[in-house]
Amino acid sequence: MIRLSGIERVDRDGGEEVHALRGVDLAIGRAEYLSIMGPSGSGKSTLLNVLGLLDRPSAGRYLLDGRDVTGLGDDELARVRRETIGFVFQFFHLVPRLSAAQNVELPMVLAGIAAEERQRRLARLLADYGLAERAGHRPDQLSGGQCQRVAIARAMAMAPRLILADEPTGNLDRHTGQEVMKVLERVHHDGGTVIVVTHDPEIGARAQRRIRMVDGEIAEDRRSDGG
Amino acid sequence: MRFADLLRFAWQVLDGNRSRTALILLAMGIGVAAVVAVSAIGEGARLYVVNQFGSLGTNLVIILPGRSETTGAMPGVLLGKTPRDLTLDDALALKRSPAVLRVAPLVVGAGDVRVGSRSRESSVLGTTAEFIQVRQMDLAQGLFLPSGDPRHGQPVCVVGATVAAELFGARPALGEWLRIGDRRFRIVGVLARQGQSLGFNTDEIVVIPLAAAQALFNTEALFRVLVEAKSREQIVPAREDLEEILRLRHEGERDVTVISQDAVLATFDRILRTLTLVVGGIAAISLAVAGILVMNVMLIAVTQRRREIGLLKALGATGATIRAAFFTEAVLLALGGAACGLAAGRLGQLALGQALPGVPFAAPWWALLAAPLTAILTAVLFTVLPARRAAALDPVAALSKR
Repeated sequence: MIRLSGIERVDRDGGEEVHALRGVDLAIGRAEYLSIMGPSGSGKSTLLNVLGLLDRPSAGRYLLDGRDVTGLGDDELARVRRETIGFVFQFFHLVPRLSAAQNVELPMVLAGIAAEERQRRLARLLADYGLAERAGHRPDQLSGGQCQRVAIARAMAMAPRLILADEPTGNLDRHTGQEVMKVLERVHHDGGTVIVVTHDPEIGARAQRRIRMVDGEIAEDRRSDGG
Repeated sequence: MRFADLLRFAWQVLDGNRSRTALILLAMGIGVAAVVAVSAIGEGARLYVVNQFGSLGTNLVIILPGRSETTGAMPGVLLGKTPRDLTLDDALALKRSPAVLRVAPLVVGAGDVRVGSRSRESSVLGTTAEFIQVRQMDLAQGLFLPSGDPRHGQPVCVVGATVAAELFGARPALGEWLRIGDRRFRIVGVLARQGQSLGFNTDEIVVIPLAAAQALFNTEALFRVLVEAKSREQIVPAREDLEEILRLRHEGERDVTVISQDAVLATFDRILRTLTLVVGGIAAISLAVAGILVMNVMLIAVTQRRREIGLLKALGATGATIRAAFFTEAVLLALGGAACGLAAGRLGQLALGQALPGVPFAAPWWALLAAPLTAILTAVLFTVLPARRAAALDPVAALSKR
């Protein structure tokens, strides 16, 4: 599904060049469950942003579903993100003035889906993620775990094939974190590709494939057979 | 993003920031209301002046004895020379001009008007039958002076509405006799109430035949001659003819002043129209100020909503969608502000109309159109920068900041 070859990412911090990614080669198959770990500044978030088409690599090639997305324009990238990728963030990033339901609906609104179709899908998403009773609540009336469930439901609104989660449990207590991971893992069981960036070894260990980044390079790529 | 969703999204933003929304609506509203109210005042003043002139009669040319001109050392005064009088024969001679439709010579004086024991000081106008058409006055009852030889007046009169009411009260005035000085006149008509017209209240006059007035005031001289040209285009040829006829009759002396209200009116009309435009324009500056406020608020919004904008981009919103969201918000604000402003301006206009009922306050159509359009235009214009800034926001940077 994903093939990265020779991905470099150079950031300019003041006058200094910072190599966030140094020649990353990575192939990720369909329906894989993968965690990316590593110390701060190792480039794991940058890698996730490149995978999510939020950041452009400075060099290298990125094939998504066999299509070279390296040279696409902003609008085209937005379209691919909209249709293929779902994001889950550490700080949830819910729109505070919108209700839970309206937050979940947002990607479908942006995609220009008709209102009746949206309502149909929304009802199912809210039910699937156990949010039906909280649909009318605004984010400040929800607990952290509920917020992240809303965020995951939002990520799944366009039924993307790829879910990217950046420290999804980073802002939650251990128990709630585990629950959120279970929700994410259900997405994986339903056939989605899930990539989780985390610094929590316990969370990282849940994935079948575990990548360790050091200094912008992949230092370790391990698979367990069981999961 | 669908248009309906865009509207809903912008509405949610506006609803979510009520005090901010109210502030912009207020600023926009004040701007629009100012344009509407100020232009209504200007237009009211213009229409007032135009109406005042119009009530004098259209295509009117007025001839005054004497010539107003400034020469060396006011010779007329020094030499004791008085201008030659205008006479009835002068007035009748004016009818020779093909450009002239009607001529109404005028003698004016004040007289003690009496009915039984009631008495009233009143302006007395001596004129001919044509006067009522030249001055475009209406009768409430009866007839105007009969036409006939102006040198021989019948003892009849037409009274103004106030005079009739004061002298007769509720009794019908028509057919009754009244006395002016030592002469008796039978009332054949009552003028319709018209009110003040350039400082002359036609409700408080008594109109008698010219010959009777000349006898009453013991004068041959005319106060004025009112001439009605055949059409608006004929005013200029009529003026030339009148001056020439009178010059010939006055032994080559140009000793009358000819005023056509047309020229005066056109000048007033032009000045007041320009004035309305100018003050409307000045009021429109407040709209530009409101536009700057919109820009300011939008720029703050871009900073405040960095995360949200970054999120929308991550969720697949294109730059165009982000820009559209900002413009929709701005246009909604402008429309709301314009609606408030038009309503406030209309209220102000009604209040002005109550305070000064004589002046026809009405915002001209161009102001009613231009004010909201300017509001929308400034809002859109001043949103270009914030919208572009928002659309160009890097989603990673926007999302990483807490």
